[in-house]
Amino acid sequence: MVSEEVLRTHLQELRRGTVVVASLVALRQPDYGYALLQRLGAHGFPVDANTLYPLLRRLEEQGLLTSEWNTEESRPRKFYRTSADGEGVLRRLLDDLAAVQDSVAGLIEGVGR
Amino acid sequence: MSTLTDRYLAATLRAVPAQRRAELDEELRGSIADMIDDRTAGGQDRATAEREVLTELGNPEQLAARYADRPLQLIGPRYYLVWWRVLRMLLTFVPAVAGVVAGVAKATVGGEPGAAIGAGIVGALQATVQTAFWITAVFAVAERVNPEPKLPAWSVDQLPEAPKERQVTLVDSCGSIAFLLCAAAFLSWQHFQPWMSGDGSRLPMLDPALWSFWLPFLIAVLVATVGLEIAKYRAGRWTWPLVAVNAVLDLAFAVPVAWLLLTDRLLNPQLVQRFDWLREGGAQDVARIAVVVTVAITVWDLVDSAVKARRQAG
Repeated sequence: MVSEEVLRTHLQELRRGTVVVASLVALRQPDYGYALLQRLGAHGFPVDANTLYPLLRRLEEQGLLTSEWNTEESRPRKFYRTSADGEGVLRRLLDDLAAVQDSVAGLIEGVGR
Repeated sequence: MSTLTDRYLAATLRAVPAQRRAELDEELRGSIADMIDDRTAGGQDRATAEREVLTELGNPEQLAARYADRPLQLIGPRYYLVWWRVLRMLLTFVPAVAGVVAGVAKATVGGEPGAAIGAGIVGALQATVQTAFWITAVFAVAERVNPEPKLPAWSVDQLPEAPKERQVTLVDSCGSIAFLLCAAAFLSWQHFQPWMSGDGSRLPMLDPALWSFWLPFLIAVLVATVGLEIAKYRAGRWTWPLVAVNAVLDLAFAVPVAWLLLTDRLLNPQLVQRFDWLREGGAQDVARIAVVVTVAITVWDLVDSAVKARRQAG
Protein backbone atom coordinates (compact mmCIF):
# COMPACT_ATOMS: atom_id res chain seq x y z
CA MET A 1 0.00 0.00 0.00
CA VAL A 2 1.38 3.39 -1.02
CA SER A 3 1.69 5.82 1.89
CA GLU A 4 -0.59 8.84 2.19
CA GLU A 5 2.49 11.04 2.03
CA VAL A 6 3.58 9.76 -1.40
CA LEU A 7 0.06 10.02 -2.78
CA ARG A 8 -0.28 13.55 -1.47
CA THR A 9 2.93 14.80 -3.09
CA HIS A 10 1.93 13.31 -6.45
CA LEU A 11 -1.51 14.90 -6.30
CA GLN A 12 0.10 18.19 -5.32
CA GLU A 13 2.47 18.00 -8.30
CA LEU A 14 -0.44 17.24 -10.63
CA ARG A 15 -2.53 20.13 -9.28
CA ARG A 16 0.19 22.74 -9.12
CA GLY A 17 -0.14 24.25 -12.60
CA THR A 18 -3.92 24.04 -12.69
CA VAL A 19 -4.28 26.83 -10.11
CA VAL A 20 -2.95 29.31 -12.70
CA VAL A 21 -5.38 28.00 -15.33
CA ALA A 22 -8.30 28.14 -12.90
CA SER A 23 -7.41 31.68 -11.78
CA LEU A 24 -7.12 32.98 -15.34
CA VAL A 25 -10.48 31.44 -16.23
CA ALA A 26 -12.21 32.67 -13.07
CA LEU A 27 -10.83 36.20 -13.43
CA ARG A 28 -12.49 36.77 -16.77
CA GLN A 29 -14.96 38.07 -14.22
CA PRO A 30 -13.07 40.63 -12.06
CA ASP A 31 -12.70 39.62 -8.42
CA TYR A 32 -10.65 40.25 -5.28
CA GLY A 33 -8.37 37.81 -3.49
CA TYR A 34 -10.59 36.20 -0.89
CA ALA A 35 -13.68 36.02 -3.13
CA LEU A 36 -11.58 34.28 -5.80
CA LEU A 37 -10.24 31.87 -3.19
CA GLN A 38 -13.79 30.89 -2.28
CA ARG A 39 -14.95 30.60 -5.87
CA LEU A 40 -12.04 28.37 -6.77
CA GLY A 41 -12.70 26.23 -3.70
CA ALA A 42 -16.38 25.92 -4.60
CA HIS A 43 -15.43 24.74 -8.10
CA GLY A 44 -13.10 22.03 -6.92
CA PHE A 45 -9.81 23.95 -6.83
CA PRO A 46 -8.92 24.07 -3.16
CA VAL A 47 -5.94 26.42 -2.84
CA ASP A 48 -4.17 27.91 0.18
CA ALA A 49 -4.50 31.65 0.77
CA ASN A 50 -0.74 31.96 1.21
CA THR A 51 -0.27 30.42 -2.25
CA LEU A 52 -3.02 32.30 -4.09
CA TYR A 53 -2.35 35.85 -2.88
CA PRO A 54 1.33 35.92 -3.92
CA LEU A 55 0.39 34.11 -7.16
CA LEU A 56 -2.07 36.86 -8.11
CA ARG A 57 0.60 39.49 -7.69
CA ARG A 58 3.08 37.48 -9.72
CA LEU A 59 0.58 37.04 -12.57
CA GLU A 60 -0.07 40.78 -12.44
CA GLU A 61 3.66 41.51 -12.69
CA GLN A 62 3.85 39.18 -15.69
CA GLY A 63 1.05 41.18 -17.32
CA LEU A 64 -1.42 38.30 -17.35
CA LEU A 65 -3.75 40.09 -14.93
CA THR A 66 -4.71 43.74 -14.58
CA SER A 67 -5.90 45.22 -11.31
CA GLU A 68 -8.04 48.05 -10.09
CA TRP A 69 -8.88 49.33 -6.62
CA ASN A 70 -12.58 49.36 -5.81
CA THR A 71 -13.35 51.80 -3.00
CA GLU A 72 -17.11 51.71 -3.22
CA GLU A 73 -17.68 48.94 -0.71
CA SER A 74 -17.09 48.73 3.05
CA ARG A 75 -13.34 48.38 2.61
CA PRO A 76 -11.07 49.07 -0.35
CA ARG A 77 -10.38 45.94 -2.36
CA LYS A 78 -8.04 45.17 -5.20
CA PHE A 79 -9.90 43.57 -8.10
CA TYR A 80 -7.98 41.47 -10.58
CA ARG A 81 -9.06 40.74 -14.15
CA THR A 82 -7.52 38.55 -16.85
CA SER A 83 -5.76 40.79 -19.40
CA ALA A 84 -5.61 40.31 -23.16
CA ASP A 85 -2.15 38.75 -22.74
CA GLY A 86 -3.55 36.58 -19.96
CA GLU A 87 -6.33 35.43 -22.29
CA GLY A 88 -3.74 34.46 -24.91
CA VAL A 89 -1.68 32.49 -22.40
CA LEU A 90 -4.85 30.90 -21.01
CA ARG A 91 -5.86 29.65 -24.47
CA ARG A 92 -2.46 27.98 -24.88
CA LEU A 93 -2.69 26.45 -21.42
CA LEU A 94 -6.21 25.12 -22.02
CA ASP A 95 -5.09 23.61 -25.37
CA ASP A 96 -2.21 21.94 -23.61
CA LEU A 97 -4.42 20.65 -20.81
CA ALA A 98 -6.74 19.15 -23.44
CA ALA A 99 -3.73 17.67 -25.22
CA VAL A 100 -2.56 16.04 -21.99
CA GLN A 101 -6.06 14.68 -21.44
CA ASP A 102 -6.12 13.25 -24.97
CA SER A 103 -2.67 11.75 -24.61
CA VAL A 104 -3.60 10.05 -21.36
CA ALA A 105 -6.82 8.73 -22.90
CA GLY A 106 -4.92 7.45 -25.94
CA LEU A 107 -2.32 5.81 -23.73
CA ILE A 108 -4.96 4.11 -21.60
CA GLU A 109 -6.66 2.78 -24.74
CA GLY A 110 -3.36 1.62 -26.21
CA VAL A 111 -2.40 -0.24 -23.06
CA GLY A 112 -5.90 -1.69 -22.63
CA ARG A 113 -5.84 -3.22 -26.10
CA MET B 1 -2.14 48.13 21.61
CA SER B 2 -1.44 46.68 18.19
CA THR B 3 -3.59 43.77 17.09
CA LEU B 4 -2.30 40.40 16.00
CA THR B 5 -3.08 41.43 12.42
CA ASP B 6 -0.94 44.55 12.76
CA ARG B 7 1.92 42.48 14.08
CA TYR B 8 1.48 39.92 11.33
CA LEU B 9 1.48 42.59 8.64
CA ALA B 10 4.53 44.29 10.11
CA ALA B 11 6.41 40.98 10.18
CA THR B 12 5.45 40.20 6.57
CA LEU B 13 6.03 43.64 5.09
CA ARG B 14 9.41 44.04 6.73
CA ALA B 15 10.70 41.36 4.36
CA VAL B 16 9.28 42.66 1.06
CA PRO B 17 10.82 45.40 -1.13
CA ALA B 18 9.94 48.89 0.18
CA GLN B 19 8.32 50.26 -2.99
CA ARG B 20 5.57 47.61 -2.85
CA ARG B 21 4.96 47.77 0.87
CA ALA B 22 2.13 50.34 1.06
CA GLU B 23 -0.02 48.68 -1.58
CA LEU B 24 0.63 45.19 -0.28
CA ASP B 25 -0.23 46.36 3.23
CA GLU B 26 -3.64 47.56 2.12
CA GLU B 27 -4.41 44.51 0.02
CA LEU B 28 -3.26 41.94 2.55
CA ARG B 29 -5.00 43.77 5.40
CA GLY B 30 -8.21 43.69 3.34
CA SER B 31 -7.80 39.99 2.56
CA ILE B 32 -7.23 39.14 6.23
CA ALA B 33 -10.28 41.22 7.22
CA ASP B 34 -12.37 39.42 4.58
CA MET B 35 -11.27 36.04 5.91
CA ILE B 36 -12.02 37.06 9.51
CA ASP B 37 -15.43 38.47 8.57
CA ASP B 38 -16.32 35.25 6.83
CA ARG B 39 -15.56 33.28 9.98
CA THR B 40 -17.32 35.63 12.40
CA ALA B 41 -20.39 35.53 10.12
CA GLY B 42 -20.36 31.79 10.78
CA GLY B 43 -20.68 32.42 14.52
CA GLN B 44 -17.01 32.39 15.61
CA ASP B 45 -15.75 35.05 18.02
CA ARG B 46 -13.41 37.61 16.54
CA ALA B 47 -10.25 36.80 18.48
CA THR B 48 -10.36 33.09 17.64
CA ALA B 49 -11.13 33.85 14.00
CA GLU B 50 -8.16 36.19 13.78
CA ARG B 51 -5.84 33.60 15.27
CA GLU B 52 -7.06 30.93 12.88
CA VAL B 53 -6.77 33.12 9.81
CA LEU B 54 -3.21 34.18 10.64
CA THR B 55 -2.29 30.58 11.43
CA GLU B 56 -3.65 29.58 8.03
CA LEU B 57 -1.56 32.22 6.30
CA GLY B 58 1.47 30.78 8.05
CA ASN B 59 4.94 32.04 8.84
CA PRO B 60 5.07 35.71 7.70
CA GLU B 61 8.64 35.39 6.49
CA GLN B 62 7.61 32.53 4.25
CA LEU B 63 4.67 34.51 2.92
CA ALA B 64 6.95 37.49 2.26
CA ALA B 65 9.39 35.24 0.40
CA ARG B 66 6.52 34.07 -1.83
CA TYR B 67 5.50 37.66 -2.52
CA ALA B 68 9.06 38.67 -3.32
CA ASP B 69 9.79 35.42 -5.20
CA ARG B 70 12.81 34.93 -3.02
CA PRO B 71 14.63 31.59 -2.62
CA LEU B 72 14.22 29.88 0.76
CA GLN B 73 17.47 27.99 0.48
CA LEU B 74 21.06 29.09 0.88
CA ILE B 75 22.22 27.52 -2.37
CA GLY B 76 19.66 26.14 -4.78
CA PRO B 77 19.85 23.39 -7.39
CA ARG B 78 21.19 25.76 -10.06
CA TYR B 79 24.39 26.39 -8.12
CA TYR B 80 24.62 23.42 -5.76
CA LEU B 81 26.70 21.11 -7.96
CA VAL B 82 29.15 23.85 -8.99
CA TRP B 83 29.46 24.93 -5.36
CA TRP B 84 30.15 21.36 -4.27
CA ARG B 85 32.71 20.77 -7.00
CA VAL B 86 34.63 24.01 -6.28
CA LEU B 87 34.56 23.35 -2.55
CA ARG B 88 35.86 19.80 -2.93
CA MET B 89 38.57 20.92 -5.34
CA LEU B 90 39.81 23.66 -3.00
CA LEU B 91 39.66 21.50 0.12
CA THR B 92 41.94 18.92 -1.48
CA PHE B 93 44.91 21.25 -1.24
CA VAL B 94 44.21 24.57 0.52
CA PRO B 95 44.20 23.19 4.10
CA ALA B 96 47.31 21.09 3.42
CA VAL B 97 49.22 24.04 1.94
CA ALA B 98 48.12 26.38 4.74
CA GLY B 99 49.04 23.77 7.36
CA VAL B 100 52.52 23.23 5.94
CA VAL B 101 53.13 26.98 5.57
CA ALA B 102 51.95 27.65 9.14
CA GLY B 103 54.08 24.78 10.49
CA VAL B 104 57.22 25.80 8.60
CA ALA B 105 56.74 29.45 9.61
CA LYS B 106 56.42 28.45 13.26
CA ALA B 107 59.55 26.31 13.07
CA THR B 108 61.73 28.81 11.19
CA VAL B 109 60.56 32.40 11.66
CA GLY B 110 58.90 31.66 15.00
CA GLY B 111 61.89 29.61 16.09
CA GLU B 112 59.77 26.96 17.83
CA PRO B 113 60.20 23.68 15.93
CA GLY B 114 58.46 21.80 18.76
CA ALA B 115 55.22 23.73 18.22
CA ALA B 116 55.33 23.35 14.42
CA ILE B 117 52.96 20.36 14.19
CA GLY B 118 50.36 22.01 16.42
CA ALA B 119 50.59 25.27 14.47
CA GLY B 120 50.25 23.29 11.23
CA ILE B 121 47.10 21.50 12.40
CA VAL B 122 45.55 24.75 13.64
CA GLY B 123 46.47 26.47 10.37
CA ALA B 124 44.94 23.66 8.30
CA LEU B 125 41.71 23.69 10.35
CA GLN B 126 41.39 27.45 10.05
CA ALA B 127 41.99 27.28 6.30
CA THR B 128 39.29 24.58 6.00
CA VAL B 129 36.71 26.65 7.87
CA GLN B 130 37.61 29.87 6.05
CA THR B 131 37.55 28.24 2.61
CA ALA B 132 34.19 26.56 3.24
CA PHE B 133 32.69 29.77 4.64
CA TRP B 134 33.79 32.11 1.87
CA ILE B 135 33.00 29.79 -1.02
CA THR B 136 29.53 29.19 0.44
CA ALA B 137 29.03 32.92 1.03
CA VAL B 138 29.97 33.76 -2.57
CA PHE B 139 27.57 31.16 -3.97
CA ALA B 140 24.77 32.22 -1.61
CA VAL B 141 25.13 35.80 -2.89
CA ALA B 142 25.22 34.60 -6.51
CA GLU B 143 22.03 32.60 -5.91
CA ARG B 144 20.28 35.84 -4.97
CA VAL B 145 21.92 38.27 -7.38
CA ASN B 146 22.05 36.14 -10.51
CA PRO B 147 19.29 33.51 -10.46
CA GLU B 148 19.83 32.59 -14.14
CA PRO B 149 23.53 31.84 -14.34
CA LYS B 150 25.22 31.13 -17.65
CA LEU B 151 27.13 28.12 -16.41
CA PRO B 152 28.84 25.90 -18.96
CA ALA B 153 26.53 23.04 -19.90
CA TRP B 154 27.45 19.53 -18.93
CA SER B 155 28.71 17.28 -21.72
CA VAL B 156 29.50 13.59 -21.94
CA ASP B 157 33.16 14.47 -22.44
CA GLN B 158 33.34 15.42 -18.77
CA LEU B 159 32.65 11.85 -17.66
CA PRO B 160 35.53 10.61 -15.53
CA GLU B 161 37.14 7.25 -16.21
CA ALA B 162 35.31 4.45 -14.46
CA PRO B 163 37.35 3.65 -11.34
CA LYS B 164 39.78 0.80 -11.81
CA GLU B 165 39.47 -1.99 -9.34
CA ARG B 166 42.40 -1.37 -7.04
CA GLN B 167 44.04 -3.88 -4.80
CA VAL B 168 45.98 -1.07 -3.16
CA THR B 169 43.71 1.72 -1.99
CA LEU B 170 44.68 5.32 -1.33
CA VAL B 171 43.70 5.01 2.34
CA ASP B 172 45.95 1.97 2.83
CA SER B 173 48.89 3.67 1.13
CA CYS B 174 48.49 6.92 3.08
CA GLY B 175 48.21 4.97 6.32
CA SER B 176 51.38 2.99 5.58
CA ILE B 177 53.32 6.09 4.56
CA ALA B 178 52.21 7.97 7.68
CA PHE B 179 53.31 5.03 9.82
CA LEU B 180 56.71 4.81 8.10
CA LEU B 181 57.33 8.56 8.46
CA CYS B 182 56.35 8.39 12.15
CA ALA B 183 58.79 5.50 12.65
CA ALA B 184 61.60 7.42 10.92
CA ALA B 185 60.74 10.53 12.94
CA PHE B 186 60.80 8.49 16.14
CA LEU B 187 64.33 7.23 15.47
CA SER B 188 65.59 10.82 15.32
CA TRP B 189 63.22 12.18 17.98
CA GLN B 190 64.29 9.68 20.65
CA HIS B 191 67.80 11.12 20.37
CA PHE B 192 67.04 14.84 20.32
CA GLN B 193 64.03 14.80 22.65
CA PRO B 194 65.30 12.06 24.94
CA TRP B 195 63.26 10.11 27.35
CA MET B 196 63.22 11.32 30.93
CA SER B 197 64.79 8.81 33.26
CA GLY B 198 63.98 8.36 36.94
CA ASP B 199 66.36 10.97 38.33
CA GLY B 200 65.28 13.70 35.91
CA SER B 201 68.22 13.45 33.52
CA ARG B 202 67.46 12.78 29.87
CA LEU B 203 68.83 9.77 28.07
CA PRO B 204 68.36 8.61 24.47
CA MET B 205 66.53 5.25 24.27
CA LEU B 206 68.78 3.81 21.60
CA ASP B 207 72.57 3.61 21.78
CA PRO B 208 73.96 6.92 20.43
CA ALA B 209 76.95 4.98 19.05
CA LEU B 210 74.60 3.55 16.42
CA TRP B 211 74.45 6.96 14.72
CA SER B 212 77.80 6.16 13.12
CA PHE B 213 76.02 3.79 10.74
CA TRP B 214 73.02 1.74 11.78
CA LEU B 215 70.45 4.41 12.68
CA PRO B 216 70.99 6.43 9.46
CA PHE B 217 70.82 3.13 7.57
CA LEU B 218 67.48 2.15 9.21
CA ILE B 219 66.04 5.61 8.51
CA ALA B 220 67.16 5.31 4.88
CA VAL B 221 65.43 1.92 4.64
CA LEU B 222 62.19 3.42 6.04
CA VAL B 223 62.35 6.28 3.52
CA ALA B 224 62.99 3.79 0.71
CA THR B 225 59.92 1.86 1.89
CA VAL B 226 57.88 5.06 1.52
CA GLY B 227 59.06 5.10 -2.10
CA LEU B 228 57.91 1.49 -2.44
CA GLU B 229 54.46 2.38 -1.08
CA ILE B 230 54.15 5.15 -3.67
CA ALA B 231 55.24 2.80 -6.48
CA LYS B 232 52.76 0.20 -5.22
CA TYR B 233 49.92 2.75 -5.21
CA ARG B 234 50.73 3.83 -8.73
CA ALA B 235 50.73 0.22 -9.91
CA GLY B 236 47.43 -0.26 -8.05
CA ARG B 237 48.36 -3.85 -7.12
CA TRP B 238 51.15 -6.11 -5.97
CA THR B 239 53.49 -7.22 -8.74
CA TRP B 240 56.39 -9.69 -8.41
CA PRO B 241 59.08 -6.97 -8.74
CA LEU B 242 57.32 -5.06 -5.96
CA VAL B 243 57.28 -8.21 -3.83
CA ALA B 244 61.00 -8.63 -4.40
CA VAL B 245 61.85 -5.02 -3.49
CA ASN B 246 59.54 -5.26 -0.48
CA ALA B 247 61.33 -8.42 0.69
CA VAL B 248 64.75 -6.77 0.35
CA LEU B 249 63.61 -3.71 2.31
CA ASP B 250 61.86 -5.79 4.98
CA LEU B 251 64.98 -7.87 5.52
CA ALA B 252 67.25 -4.78 5.39
CA PHE B 253 65.27 -3.46 8.35
CA ALA B 254 64.47 -6.62 10.31
CA VAL B 255 67.85 -8.40 10.14
CA PRO B 256 69.95 -5.51 11.53
CA VAL B 257 67.33 -4.76 14.21
CA ALA B 258 67.20 -8.40 15.31
CA TRP B 259 70.98 -8.73 15.24
CA LEU B 260 71.48 -5.49 17.23
CA LEU B 261 68.88 -6.61 19.76
CA LEU B 262 70.39 -10.04 20.22
CA THR B 263 73.91 -8.63 20.66
CA ASP B 264 72.63 -6.06 23.22
CA ARG B 265 73.66 -3.14 21.07
CA LEU B 266 70.34 -1.48 20.32
CA LEU B 267 69.35 -0.02 23.68
CA ASN B 268 71.40 2.77 25.20
CA PRO B 269 73.71 1.07 27.76
CA GLN B 270 73.44 4.09 30.08
CA LEU B 271 69.68 3.67 30.08
CA VAL B 272 70.03 -0.03 30.89
CA GLN B 273 72.34 0.85 33.79
CA ARG B 274 69.81 3.34 35.15
CA PHE B 275 67.01 0.79 35.71
CA ASP B 276 67.44 -2.19 37.92
CA TRP B 277 65.00 -4.45 36.10
CA LEU B 278 66.70 -3.77 32.77
CA ARG B 279 70.14 -4.39 34.20
CA GLU B 280 69.11 -7.65 35.88
CA GLY B 281 68.09 -9.49 32.75
CA GLY B 282 65.15 -7.28 31.77
CA ALA B 283 67.04 -5.97 28.79
CA GLN B 284 67.46 -9.52 27.45
CA ASP B 285 63.71 -10.21 27.89
CA VAL B 286 62.84 -6.99 26.11
CA ALA B 287 65.27 -7.90 23.30
CA ARG B 288 63.85 -11.43 22.91
CA ILE B 289 60.26 -10.22 22.78
CA ALA B 290 61.20 -7.48 20.31
CA VAL B 291 63.01 -10.00 18.08
CA VAL B 292 59.99 -12.33 18.05
CA VAL B 293 57.64 -9.45 17.20
CA THR B 294 59.98 -8.16 14.47
CA VAL B 295 60.33 -11.60 12.90
CA ALA B 296 56.56 -12.22 13.07
CA ILE B 297 55.72 -8.90 11.42
CA THR B 298 58.36 -9.41 8.72
CA VAL B 299 57.29 -12.95 7.89
CA TRP B 300 53.61 -11.93 7.81
CA ASP B 301 54.38 -9.02 5.48
CA LEU B 302 56.44 -11.22 3.13
CA VAL B 303 53.74 -13.90 2.96
CA ASP B 304 50.97 -11.32 2.59
CA SER B 305 52.66 -9.54 -0.33
CA ALA B 306 53.40 -12.84 -2.10
CA VAL B 307 49.82 -14.11 -1.63
CA LYS B 308 48.39 -10.86 -2.99
CA ALA B 309 50.72 -10.83 -5.99
CA ARG B 310 49.83 -14.45 -6.75
CA ARG B 311 46.09 -13.74 -6.46
CA GLN B 312 46.51 -10.80 -8.84
CA ALA B 313 48.49 -12.88 -11.36
CA GLY B 314 46.03 -15.77 -11.17
